[in-house]
Amino acid sequence: MLDRGFLDIIRNAGQKEVLTTLIDVNIRVGKGEVLGLLGPNGAGKSTLIKILCTLILPSEGDAYVNGYDVVKEGQKARGSIGFVTTDERSFYWRLSGRENLQFFATLYNLPQRDVKARVEELLEVVHLKKRADEPFLSYSAGMKQSMAIARGLLNDPAVLFMDEPTRSLDPGAAKGLRQFIKEHIVEEKGKTVFISTHQLDEAEELCDRVVILDEGRIKADASPADLKSSLPSGSSLCDVFTFYTGKDFAEDNSNPQAFSMHRSGRKRRGLGMGMKRKGF
Amino acid sequence: MLLEKAFWFIKRGYLLQMSYKFDFFLRIFFMLFNILTYYFIAKMMGDAAAKYLEPYGGDYFSFVLIGMAFSGYLMISLRSFSESVRDEQMMGTLEAMLVTPTGTSSIIALSSIWNFIFASFRVLIYLLIGVLLGVDMTRANVGGALLILILTIICFSSIGILSASFIMVFKRGDPINMLLMGTSELFGGVLFPIEVFPDWLQSISHILPITYAVSGMRHALLQGYSLGDLAPEIFTLALFSIILLPLSLFVFDQSVLKVKEEGGLVQY
Repeated sequence: MLDRGFLDIIRNAGQKEVLTTLIDVNIRVGKGEVLGLLGPNGAGKSTLIKILCTLILPSEGDAYVNGYDVVKEGQKARGSIGFVTTDERSFYWRLSGRENLQFFATLYNLPQRDVKARVEELLEVVHLKKRADEPFLSYSAGMKQSMAIARGLLNDPAVLFMDEPTRSLDPGAAKGLRQFIKEHIVEEKGKTVFISTHQLDEAEELCDRVVILDEGRIKADASPADLKSSLPSGSSLCDVFTFYTGKDFAEDNSNPQAFSMHRSGRKRRGLGMGMKRKGF
Repeated sequence: MLLEKAFWFIKRGYLLQMSYKFDFFLRIFFMLFNILTYYFIAKMMGDAAAKYLEPYGGDYFSFVLIGMAFSGYLMISLRSFSESVRDEQMMGTLEAMLVTPTGTSSIIALSSIWNFIFASFRVLIYLLIGVLLGVDMTRANVGGALLILILTIICFSSIGILSASFIMVFKRGDPINMLLMGTSELFGGVLFPIEVFPDWLQSISHILPITYAVSGMRHALLQGYSLGDLAPEIFTLALFSIILLPLSLFVFDQSVLKVKEEGGLVQY
């Protein structure tokens, strides 16, 4: 605090040095494509997703989701997206699963006559219909994550953002969820999906394309197969990650700090989004 | 759509409140204690303060009952918006709401509706118990009281929105809340008439909206003043509202922009 002058404190009130600056991030995602955003904690994955979900305004550059400018047409952009967060606290624990979904469906501007049918349909899809009237707090981690996916699909979004969707799940539940994403959301519904993950097997299994992000910069952008083919035969995505970032990757799900951390504190006015991008 | 959203926010507030039934009944129970405390203080005082209470009908219990009941709206308005922001941040639900097409201002306003309904329920209980304990409201000008109530809520809510703007940016340490909470009960004529103060202290009372809110409400409910008689209070509260409402909405929008630029919207 002492190294900041009084005027700086007033000017930057509430600012916390926790965001990673994004530099020259230029990505275009086609309709129906599944893009994996891969990188260690602090790489800028969540910052990028939050900008695209209009939770953070970029200080430079442009970003479009489903053709909508996230700054100038934030409401329309939000109407086109679903957001699946790993944070199980994002639900009201003392309300039932059904009540939670009905509440959020209203926020997505679904007419009341459609809310009930939509919620029932999604409860069926995520296999939670039998437990729908129980309080959210009684759900297992897997059920909570299924609820997050059901909420993300409430408005039948054109683009689905998933921020580390399997982070808090055991290997069995994570596998089931990946299968659900692949079969229901991608193959059946044909959604454009934007998955942030630091699990290489997940990226390889689900994604058409992988963007490796590190310290706010894109290090690689190609399909998993192409990324691997650029290295000697038999190379894994783990090797690809090491090749492009110069860092080791320990595939240990229980350790969220699995990557070596090189986090850049956010500088004032430094949330650059690089060049104009379209196609989300 | 706004009404449907309001319905669901109210339902959410009710369900969450009812999931803590013991807290609900405890709050109502201790409210009775509060009322009875002032009932017996009024009994002890008798006519001792009649000189000061004459403009308000002459009875201390009626005076303080209206003051306590309606000052609750100020407390709720000051706290509700900022606490809604902070509660949703701490529960973790704010981010999930802010990625929906519903605007930030609507979410904050709708999140506070249940608190205002609960405050109104408390006011009704205050008034009901007051009537049972002998408060005379047979001459009440209900229309005038409702008009003052609406202006009071607009005016207090504007201050509450300003307060929420501070909380959104600074997270803690809102000076508006602290300043008004501290001064309103002392200088606003909630527990005793402002005529008790020397003239120079009364001038502080005259710049506080709560002074006009509780004074107008007493005149309307206890003495049945006509709309013409209530004009000074109505005009002053309207003036406060005209200045404070657009100002608070502007400041709030700027605060949302600032925290979105800084990435601190869901931090607490």
